[in-house]
Amino acid sequence: MSASAVATMNAHPVVRRRHPFLGRALPYLLSMPALLTCIGILVPFAMAVWYSLERYNLAFPSTRGFIWFGNYISLFKDATFWNTVIVSMTYTVLTVGLELLLGLGIALLLWRRSLVTNVLSVALMLPLMVAPAIASMMWKLMTNANFGIFSYFVSLLGFHDFKWASAPQSAMFTVVMVDMWVYTPFITILLLAGLRGLPRQPFEAAELDGVPGSFVFFRIMLPMLLPYILTAGLFRMLDSIQQFDIIYSMTQGGPGDTLMDFQVQAYTQAFIFTNIGRASAILMVLWLITYVLSNVFVKNWLRLRERARGGV
Amino acid sequence: MTVKFALRAIALTIVGLFFLFPLFWVVLMSFMSNADILRNPPSPFFSPTLHNYIALVSGQLHTNVGTQTVNYMLNLFNSTVLSAFSVILSLILGVPAAYAFARYKFRLGEDMAFTLLSFRFAPPLLVLLPLLMIFQSIGLYDTYFGLVWVYQLITLPLVLWIVRGYFEDVSEDIELAYRLDGHSWLSTFFHISIPLAKPGIAAAALLSFIFAWNNFIFALILGSSGVQPVTVGAFAFVTASAIEYGQVAAALVFSIVPTLVLATFTQRYLVEGLSLGAIKG
Amino acid sequence: MAFLEITGLSKAFKDHKVIDNASIAIDKGEFLVVFGPSGCGKTVFLRLIAGMMPPDSGDVAIDGQSMADVNPEDRDIGMAFQNYALYPHMTAFDNIASPLRSRGVAEAQVVERANETARMLRIDHVLDHLPKALSQGQKQRTALARSLVGRPSVVLLDDPLRNVDAKIRYEMRFELPRVLRRYESTVIYVTQDYKEAMALGDRVAVLVDGSFRQAAAPREIYDSPNSTRIARLFGDPPINLLPVRPTPGQAGIEMNVAGGTVRLPSDRANLAGRECMFGIRGENIAVSLEPNGGIPMTLDAITPVNNRLVMLLGGNDGAELFASCPQGGSLDHLRGRHNAWVTLDLTHAHFFDSGNGARI
Repeated sequence: MSASAVATMNAHPVVRRRHPFLGRALPYLLSMPALLTCIGILVPFAMAVWYSLERYNLAFPSTRGFIWFGNYISLFKDATFWNTVIVSMTYTVLTVGLELLLGLGIALLLWRRSLVTNVLSVALMLPLMVAPAIASMMWKLMTNANFGIFSYFVSLLGFHDFKWASAPQSAMFTVVMVDMWVYTPFITILLLAGLRGLPRQPFEAAELDGVPGSFVFFRIMLPMLLPYILTAGLFRMLDSIQQFDIIYSMTQGGPGDTLMDFQVQAYTQAFIFTNIGRASAILMVLWLITYVLSNVFVKNWLRLRERARGGV
Repeated sequence: MTVKFALRAIALTIVGLFFLFPLFWVVLMSFMSNADILRNPPSPFFSPTLHNYIALVSGQLHTNVGTQTVNYMLNLFNSTVLSAFSVILSLILGVPAAYAFARYKFRLGEDMAFTLLSFRFAPPLLVLLPLLMIFQSIGLYDTYFGLVWVYQLITLPLVLWIVRGYFEDVSEDIELAYRLDGHSWLSTFFHISIPLAKPGIAAAALLSFIFAWNNFIFALILGSSGVQPVTVGAFAFVTASAIEYGQVAAALVFSIVPTLVLATFTQRYLVEGLSLGAIKG
Repeated sequence: MAFLEITGLSKAFKDHKVIDNASIAIDKGEFLVVFGPSGCGKTVFLRLIAGMMPPDSGDVAIDGQSMADVNPEDRDIGMAFQNYALYPHMTAFDNIASPLRSRGVAEAQVVERANETARMLRIDHVLDHLPKALSQGQKQRTALARSLVGRPSVVLLDDPLRNVDAKIRYEMRFELPRVLRRYESTVIYVTQDYKEAMALGDRVAVLVDGSFRQAAAPREIYDSPNSTRIARLFGDPPINLLPVRPTPGQAGIEMNVAGGTVRLPSDRANLAGRECMFGIRGENIAVSLEPNGGIPMTLDAITPVNNRLVMLLGGNDGAELFASCPQGGSLDHLRGRHNAWVTLDLTHAHFFDSGNGARI
């Protein structure tokens, strides 16, 4: 190609335009809609705080008025509130503890990749995809005293006339079962991802050195998995302490008071006793607990994220 | 060696059974006539019937006191509409915002991300009660519009959470190269950033759809028979007295089949979204 | 006025000033190499010119117009990245065609020009491949093609030969200048390899501590480095730097170096009595195994490197010197330690201030 031809190809009109405004404003423009939605939620939140400071019962509209911390004080003096606290704590401890144990166990079982473990890993995800409320209804059907298949199974084990969720003694057991059925796969998936991301060398070295399995497990594997375990545990803790769907679908909080955890109790107060003030107070107490817990969670999770990013 | 293998096999079988049996049995129940269900001891051998499903689809349910008209198909439709539109809205709001959080470190952004994150863990009933009052006074109670906005509480944080991490992984050099080629920022966003973050966006969309579909309490409080999704609809079924159990089982099956099918075909995305979303954020 | 003028450019990340008051003027059509050790901010420098982020202070001006508030897409700049930055979801052809399509060039023209550029860089046979199916060398040439096809007035090359294997790097050292000359663009080429810098550039600008400490023809930087740092960055083996204190003696200015005494040429009289750093390159040191009046030292080690011999010499005062000479001489197969006599060619002597390392 001749030099002159290249030269003509080189020449082209260049206009360099200026845009003083757009660059700086871009991040705000992009996130504005999400931000507005964010702000939107603060309005009902503020209202909830307000309600909790009022005597507000829909059945007695004339008594509505500001009573500062009156709701809270009467709450702390009320035995049913403390029952609520105990029910929530029990539920949380049982579900989180059992799910972590079971989840870790299953993750270890599925660690080695084979056709069976791959199929099971997919199959295990299915309960997680079922709505917790629906899962509860499924179990309700299957634990029916008359025709429930689970009632039949336990009768074979010698437990005749097992009342499942209809009896105070076994109600907690039943809902914890449902929770475990739905959520253990979540822990397993998380821990499996953690396990698969662990470096191979320490374990290969330990095997070469003939280190006993229990030592490997407790002193090498567990510490390395700790961030994942904590993340999973805190995640579940935050969900369990405010559990509504499973308990409500099974027994609406019954029999009696046995399963009245925070949100179910608050729901009952609001929609059956029409006591909006008291319901809001209960929810504010719950919110405080979850706020503290979620701060711990987010800080821990941010740290874990930094570590994961650093290793990538 | 073989003892270990046998133990493993037994453990895996028990695990598999525990998690899969309930699904299996409910499906089985949905094909059983009432007589088969009530038989004691229960038996897996029976003559299957489509009776229950036909009843649900046609809306005519059989009870021991005659037939009742229940529109469960409307519930299915509602679930689809609510979940789909919530996800679409969350993507429109969340993907650009996730990009802003990923690329720009601006003070307001970090605060916002933190607020959104902490609200994800707040008890829903706390804001649902006041929202009920608000909705009733401005006429949004029992409307698709109202519920889709409230569902953003579930879906938007998920989209932001997951997609932000994927945008952070898109090389800024590739974006710069596209701009130096002569493309505007907007063109770069649509032709480079979004396509390269597609797996994350897909995972976020799928997870959000499933979470929205599975929601119970939002629709229970802010909706009524007009927009009831399958979760609340099924609850009405279960608690209604005279309905045949086979039909209840069929209703439950209807409510879980969409998400289960979705999950099976997209499980790779879901696992990635769940675990990396929880860890990588 | 220069075509590309950078004045007082500064950019800090988290309190660390990566670019600190950098200024340089580049003429139209010039091939400027920006050279510096790794991590010195060369990539940030290019990104500031490209407009990826605004500088904290200072300005970039192209053809007399300030680039403040001008978006990257409007600056008429082409850039080839160290990691290629190819669009993974598009074929090599679409990658190269991108700058043309964005400007609304007719598709027939796009095809013709893209193919022509690809042919010139010898990748026309892989144009339908996705980037992941290309070799490193092909990726690099695709990135180059993309940066050139739009005939931009300024071309930025960020260490393009870094991730490419040695053989292709060698070939590209000849091809690149040839290709770039065809396009008559103003080029800024960034590298950490001083040999590459000296081979390719009309001028070399050395980036140290965020600013340009010296910008001159390659030979001038090699022969007259502005500071000890720059002197050390150029040359294999690295320049020998020894503290000395020239004193007036009977026969002129003398100084003790490596346990011996040498006489300085008279034009260095201004150094008398001054503590300074004496620099001499390995190739300006002659080593003889026979006494010849030079400084007595011991030859401690000898290694062939590329096509030269590098020798490590120890002086009586504990000083160490690196000397080099071409292979094919009497020292070729020497092993073990030997006594040696060393002559320094003082016409190539460098002197630097002891305190700030600046050239005297």
